[in-house]
Amino acid sequence: MSGWEILIPGFCGMGLHLKMDGFRMVYTAIAVVMWGVAGIFSREYMAHYKNKARYYIFFWATFLATVGVFLSADLYTTFIFFEIMSFTSYVWVAFDEKAESLRAAETYLAVAVIGGMVMLMGLFLLHDVLGTLDMDQIGPAARAVLAGKETFESGQAVHVAGGFSSAKVQLYVAGGLMLFGFGAKAGCFPLHIWLPKAHPVAPAPASALLSGILTKAGIFGVILVSCVMFGSDGAWGLLIAGLGLVTMFLGALLAVFSVNLKRTLACSSVSQIGFIMTGIGMSCLLAWAGEGNLLAVRGAFLHMVNHSLIKLVLFLCAGAVYMNLHQLDLNDVRGFGRGKPALCFCFLMGALGIGGIPLWNGYVSKTLLHESIVEYAHLLEEGALAGEAAGVSPALLPVLTDPSVWKAAEWVFLFTGGMTVAYMVKLFVALFVDRHPTRQAEFDEMSSHYMRPLSRAALVGAAAILPVLGMAPHLTMDRLADLGQGFFQGVGHAHAIHFFSFVNLKGGLISIGIGAVLYVAVIRQFLMKPRKEGGRDYADLWPVWLDLENLVYRPVLEKALPGICGAVFGVLEQYIISVPLKVFMALSALVCRSFDHMVDGLVVLARKTVCRQLPEPKTYLEGNWLAHVLGTFVDGWLLLWDGLTGKRTKGEPRGSAVSRFIDRERRLKHMGELVEQSFSFGLMLACIGLCVTLGYLLASFYHWM
Amino acid sequence: MSEIILALPVVFPIVGGLAMLVHRPGEGIVRWNRSRALLTAGLVLLNSFLVAAILAGGVDGERRLVVFKLYSSLTVMFKLDRMGGLFAGMVAFLWPLATLYAFEYMEHEERRNTFFAFYLMTYGVTVGIALAGTLVTLYLFYEMLTFVTLPLVMFPLTTEAVRASRAYLYYSIGGAAFAFIGLVFVLGFSSIETSEFVAGGMLDLARAGQSRNTLLLVYVLAFFGFGVKAAVFPLYRWLPKAAVAPTPVTALLHAVAVVKSGAFAILRLTYFSFGISFLRGSWAQWVVMCATLVTILFGSTMAVKEVHWKRRLAYSTVSNLSYILFGATLMSPFGLAAGLSHMVAHAFMKISAFFCAGAVMHKSGKTYIYQLDGMGKKMPVTFGCLTAASLSLMGIPLFAGFISKWNLAQAAFECGGLMGEVGGGAGGVGRWLPYAGVAVILLSALLTGIYMMTVLVRAYFPKIGEIASEKKEENREGTDAHGADDKVTDPTWKMLVPLVVFTVVILVIGVNPAPLMECLMKIGGEVGV
Repeated sequence: MSGWEILIPGFCGMGLHLKMDGFRMVYTAIAVVMWGVAGIFSREYMAHYKNKARYYIFFWATFLATVGVFLSADLYTTFIFFEIMSFTSYVWVAFDEKAESLRAAETYLAVAVIGGMVMLMGLFLLHDVLGTLDMDQIGPAARAVLAGKETFESGQAVHVAGGFSSAKVQLYVAGGLMLFGFGAKAGCFPLHIWLPKAHPVAPAPASALLSGILTKAGIFGVILVSCVMFGSDGAWGLLIAGLGLVTMFLGALLAVFSVNLKRTLACSSVSQIGFIMTGIGMSCLLAWAGEGNLLAVRGAFLHMVNHSLIKLVLFLCAGAVYMNLHQLDLNDVRGFGRGKPALCFCFLMGALGIGGIPLWNGYVSKTLLHESIVEYAHLLEEGALAGEAAGVSPALLPVLTDPSVWKAAEWVFLFTGGMTVAYMVKLFVALFVDRHPTRQAEFDEMSSHYMRPLSRAALVGAAAILPVLGMAPHLTMDRLADLGQGFFQGVGHAHAIHFFSFVNLKGGLISIGIGAVLYVAVIRQFLMKPRKEGGRDYADLWPVWLDLENLVYRPVLEKALPGICGAVFGVLEQYIISVPLKVFMALSALVCRSFDHMVDGLVVLARKTVCRQLPEPKTYLEGNWLAHVLGTFVDGWLLLWDGLTGKRTKGEPRGSAVSRFIDRERRLKHMGELVEQSFSFGLMLACIGLCVTLGYLLASFYHWM
Repeated sequence: MSEIILALPVVFPIVGGLAMLVHRPGEGIVRWNRSRALLTAGLVLLNSFLVAAILAGGVDGERRLVVFKLYSSLTVMFKLDRMGGLFAGMVAFLWPLATLYAFEYMEHEERRNTFFAFYLMTYGVTVGIALAGTLVTLYLFYEMLTFVTLPLVMFPLTTEAVRASRAYLYYSIGGAAFAFIGLVFVLGFSSIETSEFVAGGMLDLARAGQSRNTLLLVYVLAFFGFGVKAAVFPLYRWLPKAAVAPTPVTALLHAVAVVKSGAFAILRLTYFSFGISFLRGSWAQWVVMCATLVTILFGSTMAVKEVHWKRRLAYSTVSNLSYILFGATLMSPFGLAAGLSHMVAHAFMKISAFFCAGAVMHKSGKTYIYQLDGMGKKMPVTFGCLTAASLSLMGIPLFAGFISKWNLAQAAFECGGLMGEVGGGAGGVGRWLPYAGVAVILLSALLTGIYMMTVLVRAYFPKIGEIASEKKEENREGTDAHGADDKVTDPTWKMLVPLVVFTVVILVIGVNPAPLMECLMKIGGEVGV
């Protein structure tokens, strides 16, 4: 199947690369159908909501992004659309803005963001190892690396120099990281936590799409990593198959215990994703064993298609219930379906399909998946693998080659199929057989107007596809598989399978048997408790604490991680900043102080010695220093004298001699002035006399001349 | 002296700003009027046109202008090469928009004249850093930058603001002292006698080889010295404190101009002074790379823990600046290109995020994240822009941040590959450190997701019950906060135009990064192989 290709170089850096082939065409068509039906249904479902514009914007934005993911021809493009899809679909989950929805949306966003980041890291590494992200080239390049070759088939050298480890290990790490990212979206254990929370709170058409096709976008990536990149790697196949088995079993177990209509369907989605992943894992294992793996490939692909279509129908049925009752608890909605044949038909088609009942579509894909496990176990029994253990570490060999392990896997598969039947019966009985203890009349009244004709037509149309696919598998499903299988790069050739031969019917019948036993013996006996007024209620017996998200993820992410990071940085800051800073401050303070004190000491010393201040000359208010000195001297002597002679030891002390000296001095000075004045007067007179005498002498001398 | 035009965009705003300070309108009272606003706008626009005209004349590194010589080899010189041109162009693009935003943001403030005068002067000094042709010139303008931005940080004049500006001053001056040591050694070992930037380094390798360890130590010291402005751990403290400044300052200066000057100086020091051929594979490279990685994680972690919106963004800046420096410390041409691409991308997305925070503060006075419930519907355009900026910061495809992170990771892997081939450099650290760097970047992206998305989720999907109870409480207390809250709308065009322009730029870079990357790879190609 060849198709068109679009290349937009430079878009977002590395360019956008889209192409069309059989698989992509099938999934684009499914996307169009699903969005079409969900869109028609939304018109009625959303009629009473505010923010309709917001819903429709993100509804169609997600459509474009999802189609982009499925059409992408290189992983870079896949990543871009994948991220857009994650963020636009977030709005669906948070749509009704209740506390519960917001918490679920938070979980969804966290899983999406963490998954996206981890996937991006995987892409970085992959690009580093392989030098390309093109889907056509990563397969050969990865095989060259895994085989330990020096060059790719194109002749380009394998990038082995540098890196934190060998190219092979880097490739495994890259694959693991990408598996984490895609697996988170697909709902693979242990990252399935968002599914059972997000689906019940999102609007029903959105749940249908989340479950039906957004998880498939994750599976698309898992296929890329598993079938296209690792293709025939035994260890990888074991990982995927193991994850698939665990996911399918736990998902079904949760669904059996759940008492919420949409939550049951969501857990069922987890379980079905497990089926698909098991198929992908088996295709790797069969290829590793050197056998044709088309059985597993076709099974996985057809189960993807079936699950998309079935979940569309089932979630829209749940939506029809919710838009009338605004309740989802099985005890509240029981009996709603009575007297509503269209709803009953649609739900029944979905239930029969997903339960793997012969003549419905789920049976075909489950049979193929079952056969692939049987075939692998059969190969092991024949010992076909004795000599082939290439490229797998010895520790894994016992698991990979022991037939009993795969017998057990087969029984897990069949038992899970039984649980699927059981929980679907539980839902069906609750909706269409039970009667509501109080509101049954009210429910019956709604029979005429519970769904508008347009929605009803869309829903019935979608449901009618399922038996058509299942009843003519060679006309319909085989052709679909022929279209899609090229993408998986399977090996071998398809041989026609007689779906309705006894060998193949046996597996399905065993599952149905297990399912019947489970429903009668477990669900009716242990999962329902008697009510006071008679009758029985569905009881939620799943322990509340047993929730991976609340038990592990939230504590780790919200408490442990910030706590550890905070503590590390606290210590870092303590020792890198505070301690050195304090030491530095203390040291510099010490040094500065000591210098300071030293200078102080020097100054004091200098002041006391060489730089001593000169005594200030005393200024006396009256008298001069001689009077003061003499006066003090005399005072001293008088004091001494008085002390020695014992005179006047008592009574008032005599006045200081200073004042007498001052007085004396003043008088002396006054007298001096007088003497000075008179002396100078005399001197002046004498001078005048001298002058006169001189004049006289000159005159007489002149006269004599 | 025919290239005198190179000095114009540096001198012109500084002189203009000084003139505004000296000649104040009104008698004694600082008043603000329309003509003064027009004058400021005109000066900024004119200067941006000047820069554009200069850039249009060619950026081949041949245009130079020796302004004066302080001493024999201490030449103050302007020179236009591609990297300087990129920085100058970016600043010239952002400044007019930020000024426009500031007009509305500051409309109720007094002392606007002082504010815009210093805002204008900072423009000149930043362009000076971009066009600096020698390490001496760079150092000179780097110190000047501290002093012209100080009054802006101190602007609110609260105790907090004064403390913040004091911390800013101490850190900056202290850092510049270490940078000075680097300057002295570069001059001492220069092969061209001056400290002029030469693509690929200017050390005299024969002489430098003899005292290699000393020089490496000096490089580390100078890295941390310039790193103060780029908020490298443990020298980041001033930045979150400085978030008290008015938003146009925090947005333009503390997300772009000042902090990127620090990063720019480190790029100049690493690629144009010491040279990657001298540094690559040495212990100094691993020391500084570790510092940047620690800062990336630290900034993001602190941002998650912070509840004050602008401080959270400031911590985010701390983290993001180290993305640029991480690119720088890869010491490869692609590393430089990747670092520069994050410099450009971060400039637009962080200024946009800050402007959104500022718009909310301006319209509603809300500064804490827990107050933002339901704001997304009241201010649709603002929060639309914030959404784009947040997604870009997280590194979601279609937005600019994704491109730069992708480039950084590619460059890191390339560096790891190169180092692996030569045995991992000093101590074999190069074998794994760049890979660890990519892991750190992604972990930080996850933390970015947490601290940006929580804001958006609050704004768009308020928890209905909580808001109702809050309103009840407000009503009981008799405050009119509730009434005021209802009137909150998008700001006027002065704030919205810059926001929308930035968002468009983020998208354009995100969708078609080829032209930008081509230019950046040319810069990378200049500095060695």
